Amino acid sequence: MSTTASSEATRLLPRWMLATLTAVLVALVLVPVLYILLASLNSDVGVASGEFWPSSWSLDSYTRIWTTADLSTGILNSLIVCAFTAVASAVLGTMTAYVLVRYTFFGRLTILRGLVGLQSIPGTLMLLPVFVLFSSAGNYLGVTVIGTRWGLFIAYLTFALPFSTWVMVTYLRGLPRELEEAARTDGASTMVILWRIIFPLSLPAIVVSGIFAFLLGWNDVLFASVLTRPETHTAAVALQIVGSSQEGGALPVYSQIMAASLICAAPVVILYLAFQRYLVGGLTAGGVK
Amino acid sequence: MATLAPPEQKAPPRPVRRKGVTEQQRPLWLLTPGGLLMTVVIVLPLILALWISLIDLDQYTLRRWVEAPFIGLNNYVESFSSGLLNSIWISVSFAVISTVATVPIGIAAALVTQNKYRGRGLVRAVFLIPYVLPSFVVASVWRTMLQPDGIVNAWLSKVGIDGGLWLSGPRSYWTLILVEIWAAWPFIYLMALAALQSVDHEVHEASAVDGATWWPKLRRVILPYLRGPVLLACLLATLNHINNFTLPFVLFGAPAPEDVNVMPMIVYVTSFQSLRFGLSAAMAVLSLILIAIPLFIYLRAVRLDVHDEGGRK
Repeated sequence: MSTTASSEATRLLPRWMLATLTAVLVALVLVPVLYILLASLNSDVGVASGEFWPSSWSLDSYTRIWTTADLSTGILNSLIVCAFTAVASAVLGTMTAYVLVRYTFFGRLTILRGLVGLQSIPGTLMLLPVFVLFSSAGNYLGVTVIGTRWGLFIAYLTFALPFSTWVMVTYLRGLPRELEEAARTDGASTMVILWRIIFPLSLPAIVVSGIFAFLLGWNDVLFASVLTRPETHTAAVALQIVGSSQEGGALPVYSQIMAASLICAAPVVILYLAFQRYLVGGLTAGGVK
Repeated sequence: MATLAPPEQKAPPRPVRRKGVTEQQRPLWLLTPGGLLMTVVIVLPLILALWISLIDLDQYTLRRWVEAPFIGLNNYVESFSSGLLNSIWISVSFAVISTVATVPIGIAAALVTQNKYRGRGLVRAVFLIPYVLPSFVVASVWRTMLQPDGIVNAWLSKVGIDGGLWLSGPRSYWTLILVEIWAAWPFIYLMALAALQSVDHEVHEASAVDGATWWPKLRRVILPYLRGPVLLACLLATLNHINNFTLPFVLFGAPAPEDVNVMPMIVYVTSFQSLRFGLSAAMAVLSLILIAIPLFIYLRAVRLDVHDEGGRK
């Protein structure tokens, strides 16, 4: 009873308006989403002629896209590179963030500012020097970096590492010190404290910072379009290439593109649904998009 | 930027450790791996970007870029005659229009999901979809829908409107804005919702007792609570719009049509299609300066430190 009364008090809009606004917003989101699904079950020609409701239903697009685009290689590359990025930035981010939160030292505020500021630096500004550095590693040292998976991994760290560190900073500063201090008076070393206290207590945040690092890589087109060659293309680049091949009057593969879009979006959507509670906080920290 | 690794961080001497809890045994060495890596992958490239903007680096000099001729500020001068001003104008207007348009949508969405009702969880999950979908997926989908014979024009022709071209010509600018709005409004929604939920219950009850009808209550009582957080969100959203490369790149391809030649696009095309690396670095540095203004305001406004709690926020 009292809950209805209190929710009556917090209701900010008249009922009819609530219903209308909700319906409009949900439709705004769901109509395009429904279209992706329907178009992926349509035929390529059907989508190209502007059908919403498929005239013929089939799962063909989901089988044919694997040969039209090199999607399997792309997904495999994306998974490998992003997994390494996620683990490396989560581990290093946690260590760095712990020191930044718990100790004061010269330059600390500058680092904190840098971590936030770096998330708004244009990717194009970072890509150029990274590209020049990588290509000169080939010219001067004889090491090929451009076109390799680990080159891309290093490039992704430029964004993933500060972001993961920042996520950990915001989490760790909410963690009470008492446990650590008790352990320290018992003679525990920093490594023991980090491993036995900080790590288990902040596991959810560490996972989240890793997931964000993963998604930064998964969603990237800019770095991957320059730093990969056909064998190391990521899923995003594979999709982008098929999409742009649709100009100049090629045979339409629109339905397959929609199928590929759904396949590429699937891991992201699954990760969000599984970790929704934790991830929403990090979304508002910016960065990912 | 991130100036890291103060020299004294190299391993505090072991024997000191027995002394108990003192400020002396700060385990700064923990910063070493992350700090070293950030120096190599962030600080070094940023310095290099500055240097490249001062030399004449193109595909011929790239192989031996260390010996590329130093030309001072010539690249900067040339960027202004190579369409950078036009790109700055496109980028800034695109970002501001997108931000302004997403604010009412985001606030409306926050208002309708703030109250508990059956199915609210589902509605909230739906609201996040556009934001959660990768940009390259959003762009691919809209690109398909906006084809000359695509679904959008098919529907428009049903109501008697000739849709025309969305992906080229002057209208591409508005296409870019529309798709960006579709993808980005949930960010404002998330920030507004967080602010809305921090409004005390007493505030709601007091205004309910006053018998205020919804609009004055909303305008005078609730919206003032949202002003700060939403302004901050706008700042961040504008930065994100300006930096968005994926959306125009996948929607229109590179080189982009004249009307959507946003800053990230012109920098990308100048370096990786025209192969004028020096010129492109100068453009990138100039765009960073432009971004630095809102970024600076943002950095002042967010809480950075643990120790100034209760201060600003």
